[in-house]
Amino acid sequence: MRQSALVFAFAVLAASGQLGAQDAAKPKTVGGCPAAPAAFHTCALEKAKTFTPPRTPTGKPDFQGYWRGQLAQAFSVEGVSGNEPLVGSRVMPWEIAPPMIVDPPDGKIPYQSWAIPIGRIGENHNKYIDPRTACGPAGVPRLALQDANQILQPAGDQYVLWLFEDHHVQRVIAMDRRPRLGDAIKVTNGDSRGRWEGNTLIIDVNNFNGYNWFDDSGNFYTDSAHIVERLTMIDSDTIHYEVRVEDPKVYTRPWTLVWALVREKEAGFELLEEACREGQRDLDRLRELGFKFYFGDPWRGR
Amino acid sequence: MRHGVASALLTAFLVFPTPTATAQGPAPARPIDGKPNLQGIWQVLTTASWDIQDHQARLGVPAGQGIVDGNDIPYLPAALAKKRANFENRGTADPETKGYLPGVPRIMYMPFPFQILQTPDEIVMVFEYDRGVRNIYTNGTAHPRGPLNWWMGDSRGRWDGNTLVVDVVYFTDQTWFDRAGNFHSDALHLVERYTPAGPDHINYEVTVEDPNVFSRPWTMRTVFYRRKEPNIRLLEYDPGRLMDEAQR
Repeated sequence: MRQSALVFAFAVLAASGQLGAQDAAKPKTVGGCPAAPAAFHTCALEKAKTFTPPRTPTGKPDFQGYWRGQLAQAFSVEGVSGNEPLVGSRVMPWEIAPPMIVDPPDGKIPYQSWAIPIGRIGENHNKYIDPRTACGPAGVPRLALQDANQILQPAGDQYVLWLFEDHHVQRVIAMDRRPRLGDAIKVTNGDSRGRWEGNTLIIDVNNFNGYNWFDDSGNFYTDSAHIVERLTMIDSDTIHYEVRVEDPKVYTRPWTLVWALVREKEAGFELLEEACREGQRDLDRLRELGFKFYFGDPWRGR
Repeated sequence: MRHGVASALLTAFLVFPTPTATAQGPAPARPIDGKPNLQGIWQVLTTASWDIQDHQARLGVPAGQGIVDGNDIPYLPAALAKKRANFENRGTADPETKGYLPGVPRIMYMPFPFQILQTPDEIVMVFEYDRGVRNIYTNGTAHPRGPLNWWMGDSRGRWDGNTLVVDVVYFTDQTWFDRAGNFHSDALHLVERYTPAGPDHINYEVTVEDPNVFSRPWTMRTVFYRRKEPNIRLLEYDPGRLMDEAQR
């Protein structure tokens, strides 16, 4: 079972170009900062202090345009070491990569002990269909490391709209300081409420249903997660993307992920439609092999 | 940071001096780049989702007057037979029962809210149903070179006075118009017209052309009503995941 659902999803992923983030040539620097998450983080925070971002007509930092995740990989937010057997997989080899976690400094998710054998290439990975393979939305923050995305700041400044090519996911981020949704309403991508703090867009996300993973390894959060994203431009083509994750049900402390969003500059670029469920041919086979749909069963009831 | 927040609020107030610019919900109807402001959360009240033509009540189906001009859909003879078969088999043949994207125009008149967000270059419609999204480019670009088959088609918009006119092509032959088996081929071509009728209504008109299925173009008309609840927002209805969850 170790080969996991991913093996069978590979053909679909490869065909639809979703491996692009890993296939892209890796630059030595991103936004003038070192091309590794931890060093990028330190450098980018420093650069952000002196960079003045472009403004919208109403004076807000202008994040509009098309973006792609950089310094990110889909395998594990904890990074991939050379000892990982999946690096040698003949079907879909993983690539060695540093952690995207900048806090705690060891780059590991501070799981409570019961949760370690579920996340981190554990029960989730070995027994369940990756919710993204099952055509669910990749969720926050995994969405932002897949494929191209687009940020729009519609007239009136009441919302920031973040569109993702991946499974046609959209996030309507309310900027009007409204109260969060009631606890009984759970949403796969959470309830996103944003605000500007200086040049930084801060997005507060609650009301998750806990059906999302962070990565292909099955690292996870639950329905009590609270995520705070911080987007700050460090030059006109690079956003420092910082994600603080808090979930008292499953971690011992909050922790933080960082990667970059880099502007897609191809002339005439537009998001294309990526229907998923409408064309997938894998799920019946995966279920025949014993993989189950993931709706948070391993953590539910804890 | 307190100063930053205060000045941001002040800016918002100066730009939008109307009371509706507060957290009360709908965006102010102030024009955007000189064009009508269609922003807000909208929903139909028609029963076209069940049947776009006149229909009496059936168990679980509200009666309703159709939205098709003249109530007549000009099917070619073979297509009419297929429509009738679709109706008989609708419990399993309707793509809605598989949790697929419902296509256009069907998603416009399903009983779920959708939100219009607007910039000078692009109008985006996002739908509570199945996370549907339509990117309607109003920047003067043409349809990309085909052939393409998209569930939601490719939409290019322009303004004709106060009316947003959207040309939509590149569909699949896999979507229907309603739960009654009305269908089209991948040659479907739509011209939609969105005309504000007061601050809280949009008149919606869509002309349907598909020479593989219909003998002539035909038109549907309905109304989008602004959702005015102060706390209204799009939630989530992901039919595919709900189906999977029910049979896990």
